[in-house]
Amino acid sequence: MIRFKNVSKIYRPHTVALKNINLHIKAGEFVSIVGQSGTGKSTLAKLLFAEERPTKGELVIGGWDVSRIRRGQIPLLRRQIGVVFQDFKLLQKKTVAENVSFALEVVGASPRRIRELVPHLLRIVNLEGKAGRYPRQLSGGEQQRVAIARALIHRPKIIVADEPTGNLDAINTHDIINLLKKINEFGTTVVLVTHNREIVNSLRKRVITLDKGEIVSDQEEGRYRL
Amino acid sequence: MISLLRVLRFAFQNFWRNVWLSVITVSMLTLTLLTVNLLLSLHVLTDAAIKAVENKVDVSLYFNEGTQVELVQGAAGYIRGLDQVRDVQIVTPEEALERFRARHAEDRLILSSLEEVGENPFGYTLIVQARDAADFGFILEALDHPQYRDAIREKDFSNYGIIIDRLNEATGKVRVVGLAVAAVLLLIAMLIIVNVVRMTIFIHRDEIGVMKLVGAGNTFVRAPYFLEAILYSATATGIAAAAVFGTSRVLAPRLQAYFGIVQADLFAYFATHPLPVFGLEFAALSALTILSTAFAMHKYLKV
Repeated sequence: MIRFKNVSKIYRPHTVALKNINLHIKAGEFVSIVGQSGTGKSTLAKLLFAEERPTKGELVIGGWDVSRIRRGQIPLLRRQIGVVFQDFKLLQKKTVAENVSFALEVVGASPRRIRELVPHLLRIVNLEGKAGRYPRQLSGGEQQRVAIARALIHRPKIIVADEPTGNLDAINTHDIINLLKKINEFGTTVVLVTHNREIVNSLRKRVITLDKGEIVSDQEEGRYRL
Repeated sequence: MISLLRVLRFAFQNFWRNVWLSVITVSMLTLTLLTVNLLLSLHVLTDAAIKAVENKVDVSLYFNEGTQVELVQGAAGYIRGLDQVRDVQIVTPEEALERFRARHAEDRLILSSLEEVGENPFGYTLIVQARDAADFGFILEALDHPQYRDAIREKDFSNYGIIIDRLNEATGKVRVVGLAVAAVLLLIAMLIIVNVVRMTIFIHRDEIGVMKLVGAGNTFVRAPYFLEAILYSATATGIAAAAVFGTSRVLAPRLQAYFGIVQADLFAYFATHPLPVFGLEFAALSALTILSTAFAMHKYLKV
């Protein structure tokens, strides 16, 4: 599904964000990427949805060679990958339903398909009664669930969650992690970037630890060790 | 089709949500078009003015006092036979004296001088009108005919040539200044468009970011900005056309009165040439605004 082969990312002039990353994530896995701030976790996530390109090495995601992908192909790749961020990235002037449907509108989905899919997704994230609300009228946890609904709208094969609980309290954090686990149970590969020790230890899933841009540990059913 | 409609919707949203920026941009484009149309009107009116002067242009041939009427009539017949000549009028010495008196009715000194001379000092005069002002040279040469040459005292033409030359010179200068003003206005308009697109990109950076994140194609992200540029051009052309039609309609009777028999109806000109004038202006303006937008997006929009 996802294969990093000697991948390095160097920001000019000479900041090494990732160094010789070799990694294979299988379809349907739930992988946590952990590490302290500035160790390259977010850079690794950005490589996954082609926000950044490797400086060296080869990165293949579901048949797409991200290291050599053409600009015109990036949108097609991104429709296969759902992305969730710490700051939700919701459009404040759009309602919950509009935020979710926006992802379908911009790829040319028919109004009928939008009418069918949006309520379905809002049901999955348990927001069916809040379709008409604006993001500012929701709690942090609810806003993150809107972002997850939007990430799921294209039925992606991979979900990349970059610190999705960074702005949430313990209860909402628990809800969001449970939602990601549920999504994973339906077969979607989940890559969770976090530095939350409790989450990682409670998941009992694969844990990859980064330090200074290098993988220092990769364990099945791992724990947070920093 | 659905995508096209959505791109159109986003373009109209951009236009309305940044309505003051749109107003400034459209104003600059409209001013540019009005300057261009003013130059065009000047061109049309200059042509009409030159035609009006040309219609009034004639050459007066003053025959020596005592020249026989048969000779004058022969000369008139000879000149009439030239293709370049539109009309020839014979003025008798009596008519010439009458006209002179009428023209200087207020000038006692001249009239008293005329009284002192005692007899009619005027000979026959031929007033020749050419089909074209440029033909006068040929006509004057033709009058160098040995049969008539010695009987003609004076040929009077040069003043009108100077008027036409001055008219051409003055309008030429106005055109150069007008073109420079139009170019400056257009440059300002293009700079404004570049900055409008830059600000629009900044205002919509979150929306653009989300679009990219969820897999919107580059064309889908960029197309609304190009459509917005066309929308600016269409609005500016519409306003300029309305202003030009309105003004030319109001001015039409005055211009007609000023130019007399010569056709100087600007309204009719614009009404009969809407496509070559406003169609072409719209096409040129759209091309320039699209170019400005492309430059702004190349510089500020990374998709």
